[in-house]
Amino acid sequence: MAAEPESSAEARHLRRCINDLVSVLALPATWTGGTPSQILSNSLDALVSLLRLDFAYARLNESSRANPTEIVRVSASEESRLQPEELREKLREWLENDERKLPAVVSETFGAHAITLVPVQLGLHAEIGMLVAGSRRTDFPQQTERLVLNVAVNQAAIGMQEANLLSAQRLVASELDQRVVQRTAELAARNEELKAEIAKRQAVAARLRHEEEELLRSEAHKAAILDSSLDCIVAIDHEGRITEFNPAAERTFGYERAAVVGKLLGDVIVPPSLRARHHSGFARHLITGESRVLGRRLEMTALCADGREIPVELTITRIRQEGPPSFTGYLRDITERKLNEDALLETHAKLARSEERWRSVFENSAVGVALSDLNSRLIAANPVFEKMLGYTEAELREMSFLDFTVEEDRESNRAMVRELVEGKRRQFQIEKRYRRKNGGVVSVRNTVSFVAGTEKQPGFLLALSEDVTERHLAEEALNETRNELAHMARVTALSTLTAAIAHEVNQPLSGIVTNASTCLRMLDADPPNLAGASETARRTIRDGNRASEVIARLRTLFSKSEPTFETFDLNDAVKEVLALSAAEMQRNRIVVQSELAAALPLVLGDRIQIQQVILNLVRNAWDAMSVVNDRPRELSIRTEHDGNNGVCLRVKDSGVGMDAEVEKKLFQAFHTTKSDGMGIGLSVSRSIVERHQGRLWAERNEGPGATFFLAIPAGTNTFV
Amino acid sequence: MKDAQALVVVVVDDDESVRESLPDLLREFGFTVLTFSSAGEFLASDALGRARCLVLDVVMPGMSGIDLQKELKSRGSKLPIIFITAQKDEAIRKRVLDQGAVDVLLKPFSDTALRDALSKATGGA
Repeated sequence: MAAEPESSAEARHLRRCINDLVSVLALPATWTGGTPSQILSNSLDALVSLLRLDFAYARLNESSRANPTEIVRVSASEESRLQPEELREKLREWLENDERKLPAVVSETFGAHAITLVPVQLGLHAEIGMLVAGSRRTDFPQQTERLVLNVAVNQAAIGMQEANLLSAQRLVASELDQRVVQRTAELAARNEELKAEIAKRQAVAARLRHEEEELLRSEAHKAAILDSSLDCIVAIDHEGRITEFNPAAERTFGYERAAVVGKLLGDVIVPPSLRARHHSGFARHLITGESRVLGRRLEMTALCADGREIPVELTITRIRQEGPPSFTGYLRDITERKLNEDALLETHAKLARSEERWRSVFENSAVGVALSDLNSRLIAANPVFEKMLGYTEAELREMSFLDFTVEEDRESNRAMVRELVEGKRRQFQIEKRYRRKNGGVVSVRNTVSFVAGTEKQPGFLLALSEDVTERHLAEEALNETRNELAHMARVTALSTLTAAIAHEVNQPLSGIVTNASTCLRMLDADPPNLAGASETARRTIRDGNRASEVIARLRTLFSKSEPTFETFDLNDAVKEVLALSAAEMQRNRIVVQSELAAALPLVLGDRIQIQQVILNLVRNAWDAMSVVNDRPRELSIRTEHDGNNGVCLRVKDSGVGMDAEVEKKLFQAFHTTKSDGMGIGLSVSRSIVERHQGRLWAERNEGPGATFFLAIPAGTNTFV
Repeated sequence: MKDAQALVVVVVDDDESVRESLPDLLREFGFTVLTFSSAGEFLASDALGRARCLVLDVVMPGMSGIDLQKELKSRGSKLPIIFITAQKDEAIRKRVLDQGAVDVLLKPFSDTALRDALSKATGGA
């Protein structure tokens, strides 16, 4: 290690000294509330550590010189190996000599060590004590170390003096406190004695007063009971003479107390018819002590002053006392209660009749009726419902609606019930399928209502369930028939249109054959006419495509296929029908005018079925004009928006028209004005249109002929 | 075909594809061809005087082929007529043949059938 320059070492030394001073100056902050010896110990610890002492020793003249307090702190380093006990003895001796004349620095030997001792006075005149710092270092104490030592010792002295002062003050204060406490306790004790005396006297007075009040109260009580009792209280003595007759009894029976006291009870309120029994019973009791009436609640008849007999409820008790017996009777007029009881019985009977009536409605209802709680658990089911499902009512009560609803229908049902219970709707209708006990399936149409609960009864669900299996089967059969008819109508149209079809197909075929022949000839020429051959070949291909288009169109129009719903443009459908019919109409010299509205909304439906309807209308129109020779045979086809988001097609002819009779029967099945027709075209057409939620109708023209209208909604509708 | 070099054949048919294809074939046979889309158009032209043979469609808007045959006959014309039709109709066939038509060809017809009919009409074969 290179030697440091002197100035640098000096600077380091000074910095350390300043650090030590800062540490020393920070010590008093930790002394608050500490005792002098704690302050001293703390200072000694700091000095040993800061000045790298081997030990620090202090001696306090705290209480008496005979028994001074000593504190020793030895460096923790192992090298010191100084025994605190040895140190203490040596230093004590050393200080005993004359501490005031001690030199600033002394060298002493402890065991094998030469140690430099620096004594410092605690307090200006060492009045607090002495402190000795010891170190084996030869350079101890440096000037800076002495500074730190002196500052630390002065601080400790001030801290200790303050602590002493504080503890002296505390002592005085605590003495004072103690004296106050003692005196207060004496006063309090005397006070308690006085209080006890007063309480004792008050208690005696209160007891006296209480006894007095009790006496008064008991009398008043008795009177109050008698006076205010709603029950009639009548007391009699052993002879049966009335001794007490309270205001309630006066009111009830119409006698005044004064008038009846002293009279025989049997002569006053016992009706004549019962008097004999009363007297004999009373006499028997007096002799035998037996009684049929004592202590029991009885109902009997009592006589009033005005001669009325009223029903009363009665209890008689014998008063336990010395001497001859006396009795108290408690009576209550129960006229009103009797009336109420009758009314109640009547109401019950009415309810029972009503219940019976409803029960009979429930039992005999033509539809299934079932009640369930809000979790769809069944509460009751009527015989129709039982029969529909094949379960007994008892079995059904163990089930939920969902248990016998077929799997696929459960979720929608559950959702509806949830809306019902949440109050989003009062009622819903649902068509769904039930699984019967025997595994079969029934289709039902249910109307389910939520019946709100009352205080007495929780809410429940009421389901009216109608078996629509038969109806469904019938509907299916009807649909099938309808499809058959539609097909038949198509076939009929087909036979009528055979000529038109032949024309449509043969025309392009003719072009093909002719062009192909020409082409071969041009190729065979010498030189071959390649340009001409190529042109005719191109035409051959074009005509071939045209032919296949025609065939495809015919195939879809006349094939029997299941109805398929799609969105399509009514204009396109009309154009195709017109293309198929063009030749036939030409042959019949019919002039076709078409006005197809631009930007027509798409419609949703079975395109082929609708085209079948259009074709039917067109065919009717030309049939109606086939006998017309005195005016142009005009067929006008128009498409347009109709007012309500729909599309309308009108087919107008200048034919023979129709009279009122015909108009009426126009859409009936098998009605026809044509000798070769089957009369099913228009009726089938109308049923097709109605299945598209549309309308088909006819009107007479102002001039000759008739107009047929087809209106169907635009594409967003759904179909059943 | 040198015999037929100067011969004019008239085609009357409302179908455009026929008016387009048939003249080429007839020209291959060596005829000069004039085409009309309706009977009225043909009658209004001077073609009647030049024609050696008429190839006529049966079904046409306005005056049909049958009507035209009647009309020509009433005018005293001896112009040979070959009917062509897309519809097989024995009644019509019999009627026009009775009225003097050379032949009735059912579309689609072969080039030989047409050639035979033309030969018959022009007395060439």
